Amino acid sequence: MPDGPLIVQSDKTLLLEVDHPSAEQARRSIAPFAELERAPEHVHTYRLTALGLWNARAAGHDAEQVVNTLIEFSRYPVPHALLVDVAETMARYGRLVLSQDPAHGLVLRTTDKAVLAEVLKSRRTAGLVGERLDESTVAVHPSERGHLKQVLVKLGWPAEDLAGYVDGEKHPIELSPVTKPRTPHEKAAAWEMRPYQAQAVDGFWHGGSGVVVLPCGAGKTIVGAGAMAKSGTTTLILVTNTVSARQWRDELVRRTTLTEDEIGEYSGARKEIKPVTIATYQVLTTKRKGVYTHLELLDARDWGLVLYDEVHLLPAPVFRMTADLQARRRLGLTATLVREDGREDEVFSLIGPKRFDAPWKDIESQGYIAPADCVEVRLTLPESERMTYATAELEDKYRLAASASGKKKVVEQLVARHPDDQVLVIGQYLDQLEELAEHLGAPIITGATTNKERQRLFGAFREGEITRLVVSKVANYSVDLPEASVAIQVSGSFGSRQEEAQRLGRIMRPKADGRTAHFYAVVARDTVDQDFAAHRQRFLAEQGYAYRIVDAEDLDESPADSSAP
Amino acid sequence: MASSLPAAPAAATRHFADDLRQRSDTALAALLRARPDLAAPSPSTLRSLAARASSRTSLERALARTDALTLQVLETVLALEPVFRAPPESQGPREVPERSDHTPPGAGAGGPPPGPLSTEVVSWALGGSAEDRPRVEAAVRLAVEQALLWDAGPGPDVEGGEASAGPGTALVAPVDLRTTPGLDELLGPNPAGLGPHLDPVPEGLTEAVRRSLGSAPGPAETAAALDTLLAGAPPGARTILDALAWGPPVGVVPPAGSRPRDAVNWLVTEHLLVRSDARHVVLPRLVGLALRGGHTHRQPHTRAPGLQGRTVRTATVDAEAASAALELVRRVRVLRQYWDGHPPSVLRAGGLGVRDLRRVAVQLEADERATAFVIEVAALAGLVRDDGDAPPSYVPTVTDWDDLDDATRWARLVEAWLASRRAPWLVGSRDDKGALRAPLSPDLQRPWVPRLRNGVLGVLAAGSAEETVLAPAPGAVVEVLTWHTPRSVPPASAVEGLLAEAEWLGVTGAGALSTPGRALLPVPPDQPQVPGAIAAALRAVLPHEVDEILLQGDLTGIVPGRPTRELARLLERSTDIESRGAATTVRFSPASVTRALDQGETADGLLDELAHRSPVPVPQPLDYLVRDTARRHGAVRVGSASSYLRAADATVLAGLEHDPTLVSLGLVRLAPTVLAASVPAATLHETLRSRGLVSALEGPDGQVLVARRGVTGRAMPAPRSAAAIRMGSASDVATRTPDPEALVAELRAVETAARAGARARADAAEVAHSVTATGGGIPLRGYRVVGSRLNRVSTAEVPPGPTGPPVPPAPTNGAAARGATPGESPAVSPGVDPEDDDPGTQHPADGLALLRDALRDGSTVIVEVAGHTGRLERRELKPLNLDGGRLRALDPDREAELTIAVHRIASVLPTSSTP
Repeated sequence: MPDGPLIVQSDKTLLLEVDHPSAEQARRSIAPFAELERAPEHVHTYRLTALGLWNARAAGHDAEQVVNTLIEFSRYPVPHALLVDVAETMARYGRLVLSQDPAHGLVLRTTDKAVLAEVLKSRRTAGLVGERLDESTVAVHPSERGHLKQVLVKLGWPAEDLAGYVDGEKHPIELSPVTKPRTPHEKAAAWEMRPYQAQAVDGFWHGGSGVVVLPCGAGKTIVGAGAMAKSGTTTLILVTNTVSARQWRDELVRRTTLTEDEIGEYSGARKEIKPVTIATYQVLTTKRKGVYTHLELLDARDWGLVLYDEVHLLPAPVFRMTADLQARRRLGLTATLVREDGREDEVFSLIGPKRFDAPWKDIESQGYIAPADCVEVRLTLPESERMTYATAELEDKYRLAASASGKKKVVEQLVARHPDDQVLVIGQYLDQLEELAEHLGAPIITGATTNKERQRLFGAFREGEITRLVVSKVANYSVDLPEASVAIQVSGSFGSRQEEAQRLGRIMRPKADGRTAHFYAVVARDTVDQDFAAHRQRFLAEQGYAYRIVDAEDLDESPADSSAP
Repeated sequence: MASSLPAAPAAATRHFADDLRQRSDTALAALLRARPDLAAPSPSTLRSLAARASSRTSLERALARTDALTLQVLETVLALEPVFRAPPESQGPREVPERSDHTPPGAGAGGPPPGPLSTEVVSWALGGSAEDRPRVEAAVRLAVEQALLWDAGPGPDVEGGEASAGPGTALVAPVDLRTTPGLDELLGPNPAGLGPHLDPVPEGLTEAVRRSLGSAPGPAETAAALDTLLAGAPPGARTILDALAWGPPVGVVPPAGSRPRDAVNWLVTEHLLVRSDARHVVLPRLVGLALRGGHTHRQPHTRAPGLQGRTVRTATVDAEAASAALELVRRVRVLRQYWDGHPPSVLRAGGLGVRDLRRVAVQLEADERATAFVIEVAALAGLVRDDGDAPPSYVPTVTDWDDLDDATRWARLVEAWLASRRAPWLVGSRDDKGALRAPLSPDLQRPWVPRLRNGVLGVLAAGSAEETVLAPAPGAVVEVLTWHTPRSVPPASAVEGLLAEAEWLGVTGAGALSTPGRALLPVPPDQPQVPGAIAAALRAVLPHEVDEILLQGDLTGIVPGRPTRELARLLERSTDIESRGAATTVRFSPASVTRALDQGETADGLLDELAHRSPVPVPQPLDYLVRDTARRHGAVRVGSASSYLRAADATVLAGLEHDPTLVSLGLVRLAPTVLAASVPAATLHETLRSRGLVSALEGPDGQVLVARRGVTGRAMPAPRSAAAIRMGSASDVATRTPDPEALVAELRAVETAARAGARARADAAEVAHSVTATGGGIPLRGYRVVGSRLNRVSTAEVPPGPTGPPVPPAPTNGAAARGATPGESPAVSPGVDPEDDDPGTQHPADGLALLRDALRDGSTVIVEVAGHTGRLERRELKPLNLDGGRLRALDPDREAELTIAVHRIASVLPTSSTP
């Protein structure tokens, strides 16, 4: 114990020294209850949060286990107050239980009458609960099951939901052992779920509802398919956009017994309701005359499973709708639980606790996602542009810096360094992208591109017919471009860590020849662009990706990359 | 004039005084040590010492420090005193004790002669087992030592004052215990819940109780006696008695005609109850004692209640303590740094304003309570103080603090805390006027804080075992402290405050006393005081120092342990600290690197130092950050100049810059056409004019740019002792108390001298009285008008040597006192009470004690009162009442009653002193 790999700080961070002989063991032991905050090369930082501890509690770990783990691996004595706090926090979960009562329907029960009294006294629970049945039981309106859970988490007394789920309408879905060819000349190939995917499906199914956290490129769609097969019921899948919806459909057709006819798309363009329906967040949140017009979709069928893709992006109105779906099994899929808006607790209470989590690096080291090399290229602005920048209005500064003319040349140089790779150029500003596309002679996809055209271009890129593609932020999410191995980011939406993760995810799909992916960010020196980049870089470094900073002037001399052919 | 009066001497006091006089020097010194208020200011004579020891204030103080067992002992002696001394009286003043007299006047009540009220009797009356007995005996000895009890027995075989009193024989087991006069008032009329001792006593009860308090098996005796008495009692009588048995002894008379009323009536007839007024009955003491089986208490509280609390491992406690100690030291450092740059002003009433407190709290990352404590403890240790400017501000002092290691710094803070009489936990609460109490303000001074702190530490120390320590809740600590001082229960908030302070200091960790905290406990007298022991104790539990930092690509660095001082300085200079604790996480940012560069660091120097301390190579992003920041650092420069010189022709300026006669102007070329000068524009202008260069002053009014005087450049004041800081007076009884041994020797000398020069003294007294009476001015209170002169005269006549001829004690103490009738008084008094007419130091307490004695005995005293004209009037008065700062008294000469404000009384003399 005196030489453990873990240092427990009183501010509830855990520092894990990765080079320590028992670091792996410690990592596995603390993973259930601690959130990995950053994973740079030597010392990983985990954080103990109330949600994390409740997640652990939901997964069947108790406070004693947590405390013992901390003490066992800690190098120094663990702060006493922290241990007390862990025990107290964990003891809060499960004091309140939502369950089905044969006589009264949905009820909230407690093992601690004082707690029930406390939450019932709160103004927030007013109207969510019904009659007080006895000292430790109160009736709950079934329609308020989600709201109540939400409120209870906010009050610090998360309820364990044991009320069960409706079975939903049965619909046979099986995973097919061989992939169905997408194009006539593609051959069917045998496949099976990767071990961690199977684990994730089991973890979810066992828990009932919840979130599976997997890095980009780790095959979340397959986890979704696995869950559907396990459920064998009609399924509603909520995704971020139409392109993503189509990819889901393709993937399901490829890997399950479902046929195209059984899968419907519910989007701005089409409104099909089939046993498996894929809907976009956008259409769900469309309002007409102040009313959500597509809410009936949620009741259109007796769904047995609701899937949320990219759950960290779930818009607030969907949370409200989800609150009404508490009787159905819910599976959230995401690469990160971090939400820029801080609504992690809503994910916890409305979708469910985290059911499976695999660190990015672990999956990478298993060869399921490509290793990546991250480089920040710093470009010194020419005198004239610096002057323009210096005198510009604050709100224009980022745009000016991000679309600096010099970036064109840098991109050109970078593209030239990867003649044999599939290169994506990603940016924020359309005029900049159009200029770049023209300069590189590459096709461009923006929000204005029709879905048909998008599909065509993505298809061509996948097939290797085109090797250069310029995309705007529409490609941030859920566009599967497995062969892209180089991404060049010329501008981003300020400092979003989310975006960085997603963009990196674009190039992370494992490559056929196992080569390294490259991620370049081109930033203008001494501008806000650099500051935002620093924010994103920090995220990359925290995720464990080594990154380098290179001056644009040095690009010519520096070797492209040792692993490049 | 006194001789004509029935002047009953202050018999009880005199007796008590005799006991004191017969005590050995060691015992007297022990008394002065136990009750330091008796020695300050020094009493001039033993008589005045006795008067002071029986004064209400002094007794109250002594009782406030008395533990539960001693209090029970005192109650027991007080309750049994009348039973053992004399037959009960239904009213009137108590009589002189008659222990030696075998035929007391009240022998009609019957029964065997009462034995002495010995320790055994007390022990028995308290009940309890055989193993309790030594504790009870110890409590009795302690009470006697503190002069709360005294021995009315023949006393030890004292051949003469101090001669026989060797060291170690301070006290012989007391034989016949009495409570010190004045104690009865403090302990109330119903000691131990027993009613008054009243006459007549039901038959057989006195003997039964006395026997039960002797050696015989008591309960059986008293039970039998009671059964006999209650033989013909109506139903319910016994129930009534039982209800009153354990007090309070007063009951309400039931309505007439009811059956209980009949029982009460019967009990009253049988003298088992006494009607105290129309509606109440009271249970006489003897009946009560009989009902209790001869005991005064259900059980003796021989020991403090066991400490309740969580058990914590010592290792955990020490680790918590170490991190708390380091955090405190760090916070004090941050406070000093912050106040160096931003000195807050001192409130007009003293103390630190709320806003400034909050600002510091932000800097310290602590809540306001903890912040207030850090500020207080820093001030106590002399690390911050007000600068004495007008208006004053708080600033750090110049000390060697920054050069000390953590453990020594901590020891300084903790030592300052140990001696502190301040109550920082009151910060934020409101005083009587509704004003917020501020940190460092004078009204946080509380004289009792050190005693309570020692008490709390003592309680915590009791909870330690081999490998574990008890972490008690504040309530449990209060419970134990309540046993130690039941008459002054510490406020729970103060105990909570002290426990919180101990936690912040690292004296406790996880609520239990830590190993470094143990070093603060008083060192047993048989062990040497080791200097630096406190610092060493902390050093022993601090985690090992680490001199390396793991640098990472996300621009963070991790020190996996406690950084060495050099490493800590490096980190503080060049990083932002993100997380503290067992390890330190730091982050490099452009701002933090700029800070390092501002302090004279170079990019290469910083990187070298980091590389030197990092077991892994400096990551490329960090390297890039440092170099990139250094590149930008200094791109825009700021300097100060007093004036400038501008010219279109660069060659003119070049000539001036290199002109040796203009060196005094401090010309610096900033640009080809601009020179900066270090002299004011006017001087520059004049000098250039005198050189024949016609310059023009720029700006409408020749504006002078003056650089802000750097605050950090302020001269720091020298440290002052904590006491001198504006925190109220740190008056300390202990420091004013003279050495007890020296004082006792002085008192003996006075007495010996007084005996030797009795006649001279008598003459001198005459002179002195006449001087006073003829208006030698108004003697100031406490001014030694008579005594000092006397002393000087007398001591001169004493043969040299500390041990003069042993003065035999009055051989027939009791008899003399008993026989001290008015007629004999003048004859006896010079021999027995030589100091009686020597008022000694006119301490108000002495005068009041004499008044109170006179009040009790119904005797007269001579009172000197400052009259309307300011002259002293001397009157012989019989005090009737002393209350609320007023004395109501009867002047027998004039047969008039008068009321005098006590503060007008200049001195009080016993009547017997007048020849």
